[in-house]
Amino acid sequence: MKRTPFTRGLSVFWWLMIAFLYLPLGVIVLYSFNSANSAAFFAGFSLRWYERLLGNDQLLTALGNTLALGVASSVIALVIGTLIGYGMYRHRGRKLGWLVALIYLPIVMPDIVFGISEMAFFITMDREFGILGPSLATMIIAHVTFQIPFVALIVYSRFVGLDPTLFEAAKDLYASPAQRARHFLLPTLKPSLIAAFFLAFTLSIDDFVISFFTAGPENATLPIYIWGAIRRGVSPEINAIATLMILTVAIAAVISLLFNKEGRRS
Amino acid sequence: MTFPPSAATAPQGAVRDASTITLSGLRKRFGGDAVALDGVDLTIRAGEFFTLLGPSGCGKTTLLRILAGLEAPDDGTLTIGGRDVTTTAPHLRSVNTVFQSYALFPHLSVRENIAFGLRMKGVPVDERRRRVDHIAEFIKLGALLDRGVNQLSGGQRQRVALARALVCEPDVLLLDEPLSALDAGLRTQLQVELQRTQKRLGMTFVFVTHDQDEAMVMSDRIAVLDNGVIQQVGAPHEVYERPVNAFVAKFMGHVNLFAIEQLDHTRVVTALGTLTMDKPLEENARAGMLLIRQEVIELGHAVSEGYNGLEGVVKERHYRGSRIEYRLEVNGVTLMATAGNLGQRLYAVGDTVTVSIHPEDVVGLDA
Amino acid sequence: MAQPPYPPARQRRTLSPDTRHLLWSVAPGVVWIVIFLVLPSLYLIGVAFMTNGPYGQPQMPLSLESFRQLAGFGFLGWSPGNLYTLLRSLWQTVIATGLVILIAYPLAYHISISPRQWRAIMLLAVVVPSWTNQVIRAFGWMNLLSPGTPLSQVAQFFGLIGPNMGLYPSNFAVTLGLIYNFLPFMVLPLYAAFEKLDAGLIEAARDLYASPVRAFWHAVFPQTLSGLLAGTVLVSIPAFGMYVVPELLGGGRAMMLGSLVAGQFSGGSNWPLGAAGALIMLLATLGGLYAMRKVGRRLGGGEEVVI
Repeated sequence: MKRTPFTRGLSVFWWLMIAFLYLPLGVIVLYSFNSANSAAFFAGFSLRWYERLLGNDQLLTALGNTLALGVASSVIALVIGTLIGYGMYRHRGRKLGWLVALIYLPIVMPDIVFGISEMAFFITMDREFGILGPSLATMIIAHVTFQIPFVALIVYSRFVGLDPTLFEAAKDLYASPAQRARHFLLPTLKPSLIAAFFLAFTLSIDDFVISFFTAGPENATLPIYIWGAIRRGVSPEINAIATLMILTVAIAAVISLLFNKEGRRS
Repeated sequence: MTFPPSAATAPQGAVRDASTITLSGLRKRFGGDAVALDGVDLTIRAGEFFTLLGPSGCGKTTLLRILAGLEAPDDGTLTIGGRDVTTTAPHLRSVNTVFQSYALFPHLSVRENIAFGLRMKGVPVDERRRRVDHIAEFIKLGALLDRGVNQLSGGQRQRVALARALVCEPDVLLLDEPLSALDAGLRTQLQVELQRTQKRLGMTFVFVTHDQDEAMVMSDRIAVLDNGVIQQVGAPHEVYERPVNAFVAKFMGHVNLFAIEQLDHTRVVTALGTLTMDKPLEENARAGMLLIRQEVIELGHAVSEGYNGLEGVVKERHYRGSRIEYRLEVNGVTLMATAGNLGQRLYAVGDTVTVSIHPEDVVGLDA
Repeated sequence: MAQPPYPPARQRRTLSPDTRHLLWSVAPGVVWIVIFLVLPSLYLIGVAFMTNGPYGQPQMPLSLESFRQLAGFGFLGWSPGNLYTLLRSLWQTVIATGLVILIAYPLAYHISISPRQWRAIMLLAVVVPSWTNQVIRAFGWMNLLSPGTPLSQVAQFFGLIGPNMGLYPSNFAVTLGLIYNFLPFMVLPLYAAFEKLDAGLIEAARDLYASPVRAFWHAVFPQTLSGLLAGTVLVSIPAFGMYVVPELLGGGRAMMLGSLVAGQFSGGSNWPLGAAGALIMLLATLGGLYAMRKVGRRLGGGEEVVI
């Protein structure tokens, strides 16, 4: 398209908005290296806030919780979501509106409603039956619930992009149902499964609201820890841990994107 | 047993008795009322190159899928080598398929694709390797073995799909329009190769196509299907020269068909004129149509001795190199004639010519 | 012929293998979502109609008391606090959604007319910040808007805020935080709508109407309505229920419905009241989705815009 004042204006606006989008994150990263304890000016480069993280037991516990929650929930969601994605694909000729509606439910529900309904449910179950008291387990349950749809949709879209005769070729070439799963389905799905796992992991690390309401007192995750730290008063330490989280999530998300792309290409 | 069988152990045309296929009373319909197969009875002999021919939607692919076990018939039985396999799962049948899309596994190399069936059957690694190398040499794939399947051309994919099926040494090989995605030149070449391969192996091939030329070039016998019913089974020349009804005649191509208006022993009256047949139609033949193949019509300046003689005007001429097609008008109706190009004189549009048709080439048909 | 051409379909007393396969594959997920989301939601809806007990746990009998409280009727008579919170949530949602639309249109259009090989990367650039935890993103804005920061000083210079004050906490900071959070949700569907547009159409419109604004309004805008609709739903529903941003950037006087609801389950301990607030959010969600389906159908292509 020709360059006109209009398109030049658009371009300027674009860069302004990119600055808007990255400024808050950039400031966090910048101040995480600030030698002064200030959010107003940058005094000089220092790693002191990162050093301080290492000595913070609460924070290291939160890190452990975050990783345990992310990995455990992603693994469970991967298994359950893959099964749903496969079922949806195999039976796509049927009327599955109810299933699609059910799968979209966790996606469309506002996370605060999601979180408090789980919390109310878990607390009541604990009080009445002594099960499902708020703990790491209830957090895992809640995370799996919102991860399942994303895994299912990734797996489903991978299947849809596949030549349907491949399934028949595997049957035709003497593969039993178990062999078909092992030698055809799993290898074909592998990139998508990796993508789905990392997406689920990203979602888990990114979540605050649902974790916040389903966690027991001992189960603070990094976002919950940061939340509490902010409420107690802003400290440059938060910048350091936030920077590490931004980095982790960016890496996991890029892995997810790359594998999802590879899954679709082949 | 070594593969492919060497000339010493398996002379050319050797057949495996295990592979005679019988289908009886096969019926299949999809959904509400779409009838795919409506009572198919058929015997496919061991070691034959058998083709299911028909337009799309005639049921030929359904029939092939039932042979493969990918579709179960609503009714009827299927036996292979005397064993009833009507409800046997596809992976438990000694049948392999070359799919129209080739269905090569994208996550495997060419070698791994070819070895897939052997691996599933639990063939040991060493033997697997030997058999894959052997078939690759046989199908001329040696140089491609370590490539990914996405790096192959259409013709190469077709060969890999063929090798992948053949290496399993099935009793029957099914081929679902495997050449339809290729360009004309490659197609002709692979038709010949496929037929040669089949003869060398003595394996039963069941081939599905909608292309009658392809069917005639390759097949020992052809079954023509329409609307889920087998119309005719026979050797290519039988089906082509003696079609049993107008559908088969039209489908095989190059024909002139005329409704029979009056029939008196060997004399038959149509819009074209009055013609003589070499022998009277059988009493019970429900003959309603008269068939005259385009290539049996002789054009000239005088009617040949002992021939039916007519007179026509050339309306169009299509020069096709090895042959010339004429559209003639005879007694107000159109008659298509094809003459082999033997260097004879070409007739021009507007020329008046005599049309000679031998009584043997005047064939009565079911309407 | 005695036998009809087709025998009647075989009688099946049990489920067909096909149905059994479907159930086997989707059952774990379906059971999971039903037990851990559908049941809790139904329970929460039930709680909304129960009475608040002395320790904040819901009790029988059923009543509409919690909805009365939500409307402001309490022990001390009527007070407008809760209604203000509700209205503020609505107001913030409308403002933020409107501004997001104004920002997202030029962005999406700019991406759609950029060279093809850049578009995926440009979209990614818009989406990447939203991968970060929303607490951290809000914290980033706290860093930028707190007292003494350059942005706050500029605002002071123009007399927008008092001396030694920051741009946060404030309603303004909440609006900014909402826009920041939900901008990508609008850019993506709008870009999808622009992508489908014929570039020639825009050129033709530029010739016909001369001014870019008129070209946009007459030729482009009507064709992006379905994307706009999808984006509006994707932005406004979560914005209405937003908890983190108003909590961190708003302070006490900028409270929104999410904080009101959450408060009843932790500090305030009035489950029925919180559940009533949550029910309103749920109804708003369902209403938004319903409107999108309904209007989306009429605009055409409404099906594909859901996510």
